[in-house]
Amino acid sequence: MTSLPEKQNKKLGLVIDLDICVGCHACAVNCKEWNTSGHSSPLHDIDPYGDDPTGVWFNRIHTFEVESEINGSKTVHFPKSCLHCSDAPCVTVCPTGASYKREEDGIVLVNPETCIGCKLCSWSCPYGAREYDEEAGIMKKCTLCVDKIYNENIPESDRVPACVSTCPAGARSFGDLGDENSDIFKLVEERNGYDLMPEQDCLPTNKYLPPREKNNQFKNDALNSITNDNDFSFDTWKEIVEDASK
Amino acid sequence: MHPSKSIIFFTVMSGTGYGIIICLSFLALIAEINFSYGLKLSLILISFLFITLGLLSSTLHLGHPERAWRSFSQWRSSWLSREGLAAVLTYIPLMLFYLLWFLEMDIFKYFLYSASILSVITIYCTGQMYASLKTVPAWNNVYVTPIYLINGLSIGSLSIYCLTRFYEYEIQHLYQFTLLSLALCLMLKIIYWFHIRTKSTSSINTAIGLGKDNKVSFFEGPHTGKNFLTTEMINKIKKEKANFLRLCFIILSCVLPIYMIVQEATLIIDAFILKLSFFITLVFALIGMLIERYLFFIQAKHVVSLYYGENKV
Repeated sequence: MTSLPEKQNKKLGLVIDLDICVGCHACAVNCKEWNTSGHSSPLHDIDPYGDDPTGVWFNRIHTFEVESEINGSKTVHFPKSCLHCSDAPCVTVCPTGASYKREEDGIVLVNPETCIGCKLCSWSCPYGAREYDEEAGIMKKCTLCVDKIYNENIPESDRVPACVSTCPAGARSFGDLGDENSDIFKLVEERNGYDLMPEQDCLPTNKYLPPREKNNQFKNDALNSITNDNDFSFDTWKEIVEDASK
Repeated sequence: MHPSKSIIFFTVMSGTGYGIIICLSFLALIAEINFSYGLKLSLILISFLFITLGLLSSTLHLGHPERAWRSFSQWRSSWLSREGLAAVLTYIPLMLFYLLWFLEMDIFKYFLYSASILSVITIYCTGQMYASLKTVPAWNNVYVTPIYLINGLSIGSLSIYCLTRFYEYEIQHLYQFTLLSLALCLMLKIIYWFHIRTKSTSSINTAIGLGKDNKVSFFEGPHTGKNFLTTEMINKIKKEKANFLRLCFIILSCVLPIYMIVQEATLIIDAFILKLSFFITLVFALIGMLIERYLFFIQAKHVVSLYYGENKV
């Protein structure tokens, strides 16, 4: 059971657009909200109102500064949850078979009945996707909202992961990344979507879209036309301002 | 990585117990090992207690120790599962060896050899469990598994040596064997320390994936407090403290035992003090090994720290 499935019928996953994400943390909050009453419930908090609160979260938003000569400096908000890797090391290291990857859709899950809480899967994951629940004594993780995306009791439009349906900016997309005809696959192709830490050889399903290049051409042209025009000097500005104040 | 007390205690104690068995089988290969009852009984008790207490302690860090039996099922893919299975299988020839050796029946050797092979396999699996983790470059190398094996062997043979001094017993070739394994242990560890100083696989650039034409730097974490990842995977130790602890290991586990073994004849102390000092040497060597294992964990950086402010792992 701990071995990875030989083939994957589908590769369900997320695509996160770093150009759009505004770092509002709504996806993390709604993730906690849905999952604390769903498949992995409850997601325990320790000392939630005290000095040193910690708790189980499947989704976290980090922030980085990205500088380049062309685009200048940019703040990049970086949401990160389980990437549901095709070659998931967290599955193969599991000694009990509690950690498994589903053949039908590629979702990586933990069986709470057989997990012994050895934490080895969390060590083997380069992305920090695994969350140990101290109170329950077992490992938990992003389920890609498996209890929401197939839930026939809710409207069809709501059958996407909680983080996707809640994102106010539309920075998160959900779909089958193994299907070359899917919108999400085309989006990744079009925007040069990439893998995190490819050198770790995990073949993550989730992709990230880089921030778009800034188009500064128009702004630069307008500025140049003002500064290069010798007649249009400081004195000209002064005259205009003085005229206006009269 | 978080230096879990139960894992440190487990790997050192069980490693020592298995090391005693492996060393005994080497000695049995080249000479007779029909010792006095006292020495036999001590060796049996010490190796059994070390192995068993270590294994029991290893279950303490589990969230559900009562489910530990489930870990024997996934030996096809998991080194941890293989380790558990090998550890339990070792007990079968080991208990038979203890019994037959004590009863002085000659076939004990075959059980000793099989117990010894399974001991090597168990330690090998432990080492491989760490060495196979790509996420921790300080572990993902060819030195880790040999270090686990040679550490067990050196402290195992030292245990036998100290016991033979205690019982004033001479065993052929044990002197050379112990010195050689202690020296190898020290050498390998120093090579390892040089290796991890330069080794690095991932960086903040590959972790965020925007590093190709940009300079990426950490701005802020997901929250102001700690979380499971930061407590389990991101632990730091000051360089000065680490260097001091490395020195402690070198002195306690390698230099002091080698000095005691080589210079024993020149020490002018009475027999009782000599016995006591060999006992103390063994205790110190074990403490040194615990320190070495602590450093093995605390100095190993996990790539997830790239998302929490580290630039290179």
